[in-house]
Amino acid sequence: MTRDAVSPASMTGQWLWRAGKTLLSLPFAYAALVILMVVAYFMRPALLSPMLLLLILRQAAPLGIAVLGQSLCMRVLSLDLSIGGVIVGVSYILTSGLLPFSEPVLLLVAVAFGVAVGLLNAFFITRLRASSVIVTLAVTLVITGVAVALSQLRSPGEAPEILRQLVRLKIGIVPVVLVIWALLLLAVAIFIRRSVFGRYVDAIGANPRAAWVSGIPYVRVVSVVHVMSSLFAVFAGFLLIGFVGIGSMDLGRDLALNSLAAVILGGVTFGSGKGGVLGPTVAALMLTFSFNLLTSLGLGEPAKLMLQGIIIGVAAAAYSVQRNN
Amino acid sequence: MLDLARGSRRTGLSPIVLVLPVALFVLLYLSSGTFRSLENLANVNSQVAALMIASLGQGIVAISGGIDLSVGSVMSLTSAILVTADPAWGVPIALAMGAAVGLVNGFGVTLFKVHPLVMTLATMTFVQGVALLLHPVPGGEVPGYLRALAVSQVAGVPAAFFWCGAAILLAWHLLGRSRFGLRTYAVGANPVSAGRNGIAVTRLKVACFVLCSLSAVVAGIFLTARVGAGDATMGAPYSLDTVTAMALGGIQLAGGSGSVLGIVAGVLTLGLISNGMNLMGVSPFLRAAVTGALLLVAIGLQRREAIGA
Repeated sequence: MTRDAVSPASMTGQWLWRAGKTLLSLPFAYAALVILMVVAYFMRPALLSPMLLLLILRQAAPLGIAVLGQSLCMRVLSLDLSIGGVIVGVSYILTSGLLPFSEPVLLLVAVAFGVAVGLLNAFFITRLRASSVIVTLAVTLVITGVAVALSQLRSPGEAPEILRQLVRLKIGIVPVVLVIWALLLLAVAIFIRRSVFGRYVDAIGANPRAAWVSGIPYVRVVSVVHVMSSLFAVFAGFLLIGFVGIGSMDLGRDLALNSLAAVILGGVTFGSGKGGVLGPTVAALMLTFSFNLLTSLGLGEPAKLMLQGIIIGVAAAAYSVQRNN
Repeated sequence: MLDLARGSRRTGLSPIVLVLPVALFVLLYLSSGTFRSLENLANVNSQVAALMIASLGQGIVAISGGIDLSVGSVMSLTSAILVTADPAWGVPIALAMGAAVGLVNGFGVTLFKVHPLVMTLATMTFVQGVALLLHPVPGGEVPGYLRALAVSQVAGVPAAFFWCGAAILLAWHLLGRSRFGLRTYAVGANPVSAGRNGIAVTRLKVACFVLCSLSAVVAGIFLTARVGAGDATMGAPYSLDTVTAMALGGIQLAGGSGSVLGIVAGVLTLGLISNGMNLMGVSPFLRAAVTGALLLVAIGLQRREAIGA
């Protein structure tokens, strides 16, 4: 039998095999989300009602947006743990009334603050070649330290009216927050796929030394990625502050770790963008869903932390083994 | 400036590393009357002791080319275990926990080839969760004998001094005088050629992580006993503080270079700065910010080959 003459039966077999292989190569986040939903179906079916699902989706938006920046960082072999710090800073800028500006100007100041933090991170990571984890953790320490010290002189107050309105707006039954998230997601996906910049990102991730030698603007790409990550953190902060309604120094503190967990779970590891933009996004949903499930089962903060730790460790180990094979 | 910051390849010691703590001490001694009091000096000593013990462990991992961010959580969990477990079993359980965390870190980094930062970030988060689960609200009673070991004095010298001294001697022997130390430097400098020269790289790296976690347990025991109560978040600042001490002590986080003297100098610098700000009445939150800024400066002076994580 020649290879060309394949019977229809084996064709379907082959197709099934291929489909199975594709499914298996999907990031863990997809399977985990399905498993969690099945668990919820048996233990807390109320969580699967359309209304609650929509709420959970809306709740996932800040993490989903922060994850976009984190995944870009990991693609260029860097990490951004200053997301939480940026949000604390934004929260203080917007709600303390320290700066006597109108709301739109304050939002602009917050954006400028994000750009500044991104540039600072990038300066230390690219020019001084310091470890990104330590740099961004140290930057978080500085921002939160200053913000908390300031908040004892002048405590954070109410969130800007614009943000509180924005998170309540709906188109039909779809919250505007979700539309914003989807647009940002689409923009990043297209940008990464179609632009020269996206190619540079892939090249640096695949082999930094080769990218450097072949004249790719390494420093500029990594800098831009860090500025983008901080900007996404600012947007995530806007939504969080809108949700909560008042400023707080605890806002978004766990976003840095959660975004890291989501990115790894979504199939993006150091230097590999295999999970695409969608993988981390699904992972962000999955994490938010799992936190809701844990809360509904009466398990609090400790269980959440343990779950995060297990997810980061196991997923990182599994991908690393997969890649080395 | 650059020449002052550049140190010997092997020890990482540079003039600036050694002069900084001495200069700070002289400055504080001359400028603040409170600093000079014997009480405050004893206080500095016991504040620094926990950081010193934990940093010596961090130093071993750093010289082997790794980093351990789970130090702080291990200290916190130790604290939670000491006040919840049976007094007779608290210390053995805590040590076993430390060994287990070290093994997980070590195997994750070596066998599964996970980046040490990511691996220890994962265990840091998990262990913190366990600590909060075990002991959600600060409080509880520390076994009497531990309390006595941490706060008593021998001929006017506070116990913290002996804890520090023992830890430094042990680390100095391990790193400077034993075969284990020699191999650690070799693996940190170049794991591939160390392996080709017959060093069991995996086993050595795992041992380094286990030693680091065990020293974090000891630091946690001391801190809990000194404070006299359990707190499941007590160790949180120590993960980054130990890394800051490394950077200030001239230990290259890329591995292969560093010394016990450098670690001691780094810890003293950090401790004196913190105590100085305390005496000047700087808010504790601002102190955290200054530690962060210091870490940025110190890490900025260590130029690496690679860009990124």
